[in-house]
This record gives sequence, C-alpha cells and structure tokens, in this order.
Amino acid sequence: MMRRFGRPCRGQGHVCVKLVRHTEVLLLEWGQPINTLGPQGQPLLALASDLSHTKRERLASERNAAMGAHTHIRPQSTRLTQGKKLSHCTIVNAYDPTIAPILKGKSNGPAQFGRKPGLVSEPATGFIFANRVPEGNPCDASDGLPLLDKVQGAIERVRTAPRRQIHSVAGALGINDAALRQALHQRGVLTVGIPKTVEPIQPHPSPEEVHDLLTEAGLHRKRTPHQVHLACACGSSRPVVESPIASLLSRGAGQGRYKGPLGAMRPQGMTVMAHHGATLVRIRQRHLSKRAQKIRRLLGLRRRNINQINNQKN
Amino acid sequence: MRLVRYLPHWLGGIGPRLHVADFVPETLPIRQWADTFPWAPLVAAVESSFARRFPRRSPRGRRPIPLRVLFALELLKHELGCSDEQICDRLRTDFAVMSACGMQESQAETSQAHFVLPTTLAEFRGRLDEELMDELIAIHAAAAMDEGLVSPAHLVSDTLPVEQGSQRVTDATTLYKAQKTPSSSSHTSHSNATAEPQRSRVKPRAANRTCKR
Repeated sequence: MMRRFGRPCRGQGHVCVKLVRHTEVLLLEWGQPINTLGPQGQPLLALASDLSHTKRERLASERNAAMGAHTHIRPQSTRLTQGKKLSHCTIVNAYDPTIAPILKGKSNGPAQFGRKPGLVSEPATGFIFANRVPEGNPCDASDGLPLLDKVQGAIERVRTAPRRQIHSVAGALGINDAALRQALHQRGVLTVGIPKTVEPIQPHPSPEEVHDLLTEAGLHRKRTPHQVHLACACGSSRPVVESPIASLLSRGAGQGRYKGPLGAMRPQGMTVMAHHGATLVRIRQRHLSKRAQKIRRLLGLRRRNINQINNQKN
Repeated sequence: MRLVRYLPHWLGGIGPRLHVADFVPETLPIRQWADTFPWAPLVAAVESSFARRFPRRSPRGRRPIPLRVLFALELLKHELGCSDEQICDRLRTDFAVMSACGMQESQAETSQAHFVLPTTLAEFRGRLDEELMDELIAIHAAAAMDEGLVSPAHLVSDTLPVEQGSQRVTDATTLYKAQKTPSSSSHTSHSNATAEPQRSRVKPRAANRTCKR
C-alpha cells in the first residue's frame, strides 16, 4: 500500500501497489508500439493535404502528448515496480515529476516539496503584473527575465500615452545574479533594489552614490537621479512583498489540488486576476497605506479630486 | 458565444423576468470588484483562443452557456473561496453573483437546481492554457495602466512558495509500512506487501519513524 497519491482534497489517498503494478505493466505493453508508430506518423501528417491547418496542428500535438506520456510513465513504472530504495531527491511525487523540494531536506526529516511561482508586483499597491509557474525548483534569478518579458507584453497593450517603461526592478538576495543584472542594465532597468549583501539598501543615497550607481549600471543618459532615488525607496521590503502573497494565499493559491504544471498554473492565474480586482477596488476607494500613497504621488498616479476647488480661496 | 455543452436553463424559464440590477446596489463589494474587469476584451481573448484550439465542428446543437458567465464564475470561485458546486449554487440564488456574471435578467423554474453545472465549469477550466492565462493577466494589467491606476515603473520580484506537502516515501518503506500496519481498506495491498518482505532494504527502526510522521 502506498500513501499520499491522488488529489489531497479527496482525503488520504491509498493506492494498492499491486494494482498500480498491474495497470502500469498493461499500459506499457499497450503503449509499446507508440515508439515505432509515432515517428512514422509525423511525415504522413505533413503530407496529408486534405486536413486543415488547425486539425493538423491538433493531431500533431496529440501525437507528441501520446509519445511524451509513454516516455514519462516508463521510468516511473520502473521506479515503482522494482522495489528498490530511491536515491535522495530523485523523485518526490511519482505522478507529478515537475515539482521539487522547496527546502533542503535532512536525513531525519521529510523535506517540503511544491512549487515556487514567481511574481512581479508593484511595490505601492501590490498589483501583480505577471506570474510564472516554473517546472521543478530552479533558482529565483531564472524567473527574472521571463517575468519582465510578460510585463513588457502587458505594456505593449496599453493604448493611452505616455508610453510606460520599467525603470527598476527590486528583489530579495535570491535574485542577486551577475548575468541578470547585466541583462537588466542592457534593457535600461536599474538594479539598485537588488541587494548584493545581507546589509540593507540605503533608502536615501547621496548625490555621489547616485552618480556611482548610474555609472555602474551604464545608464547615465537613460535614467535620472530622481528615478534612482525612487528605485532605492522601492527596494525589496519583506512586509511589502508579503502583502500580495498573503492576498494570494487567502484566495487559495497555496493549495495545490491539481497535478502537473497546467494544474498549478490555472488556479494561480485565476487567483492573480481575482487579486487584481480587489487591488483595483482598494485603489479606487483610496484604501491605501501612507507609504503607498506617497509612492503613487511621486509616480504621478494620484487621482485628482474633482469635487475639490483648488483655486485661491480669498 | 461558443457551445460548451449544456443548455442555459434560465433562457427557457417561465413567469416574470426579474431584473438583476434592481437587487444589487452599486456599493456592493462583489459588484465593485466585478466592475474592475474589462470583460469585453477578456471574453474576446478566451473566445478566440477556444475557437483556434477547439474548432466548432458543426453549427448545429444547443445554445451555449456564455463564456462571460463561465469565466466570471471561475474568478468568483477564487474571490469568494467557494468550490465549483458552491459557486454554481450561488449563481442560482445570489443576485450579486448573477450581476457579476453579467446576467441582466433572471427567469427560472423552481425545479431547476443549477443554472450552470459544476462539470461544465470544470470543462471550461480544463481548456485554459498557459498562453491564454498570460494573455488574460496582461489584458487586465493593461486596462489598469490605461486607467492610470497602476504603473510598471518600479517593480518587485519575489517567489511564492506553494507547499504541496512533505514526502519521504520510498517503495521500500511503504512496503514495510504495509506489512506492519495493514489497512482494512485494502487486503490486496497487505497480501502483496507480506508476500515480498525481502525487498525492503530499509532498517526497521528508520521505517517505523517514518510511519509515525
């Protein structure tokens, strides 16, 4: 008997090892011809001129999925049926190999396993511009550029002037990577919000420090000292980051009920959109912290109160 | 709107039609939350993606459930913390949910338990892919930027650990556990485990500690 298989919301799952072994042996036998038929089908599919482009694409994706499924189940079955002890961290979930341990495990205790979706949010209100569910457990720095590409995609959809730009990116010590810094500088993005050591970032840099920061990034003509000051003020702060994370967790983002990358991505995306709605309601009703109000004022995002007469009273 | 599967029952009801907007004030939180979404471009993006990936084979068939309703239900599910069944129940009885789903009027028979079946919602969710989800989030962010509510000038990047559990289960340890604590629900596994005790290469003491956790 094996425990913790299947969806956790259905209670403690118990799977009969014998049943799994029998089923997987049969599946492997039935799926054996896919190794020879699959490659043969690809050129035939390309030659089938009577099929529409959409149908051909769908059939090709189904063929790839069938071949991938067989490749995926074969090592699993070997691991499950041979009765050998698995090496540490080789496999954490037989039916969902795309997740990995979050923490470094110890020999006398189980390690947490799961996913670490990346988020890019606005520091003032916690509005999440993009999220990404990676496969496995890659380093945090690998999320940086794909997430910024998604933000750039959102910026390109904006129709009103002026054109938005990303001025700076902040983050925890985990995304302190030289290659990422260089790539961000080439895009004209400041990285003063990413710490290099455990020491806190200077929130109010002197003019000399601002000059040094711009020289180091090679962005003298692209970014202004005012933007550097703002970037330092918007540096990574744990309470600021925890706010949208807590909002997502309260909406069910922490419950991985579905298996596979797609099963994790769908609830994550819907949670982010639901969080967007709640954030925009807060912004419209001006239910913001003092810090958020100040940052929005510096960014020129404060809404004018049309009911207030700003003319001189006397 | 595309056909998903089931007929929207509320279109065939009898009796007077109730205007949903009459029951939902503008200050209601769900209505304010729903008003922040640019529904038209979002639904158009879902529709075009579905049309490309799941082409319609025949023009015949029953009238579809609007994608606007299904998409709003999926979002409301996360906002209100409901399950599929609960949110489908609330769509039948809650005017605020009806309003958020874009329904202008309601007309239903008392015998109808659901407007939308939970299985339909699950099918809709199964058709969402990563590309579409990214597009939907980008559309929503772009609409907020258009309105001047948010700015992407300064961003913070972080990760959100989503814990799915902890596991230190190997085939050998589970076999040992099955041998020591047979489950009443599975006699097959017990007999299987006892038939192959020699495969276990884990020390009994270590395996016993695993079982306690």
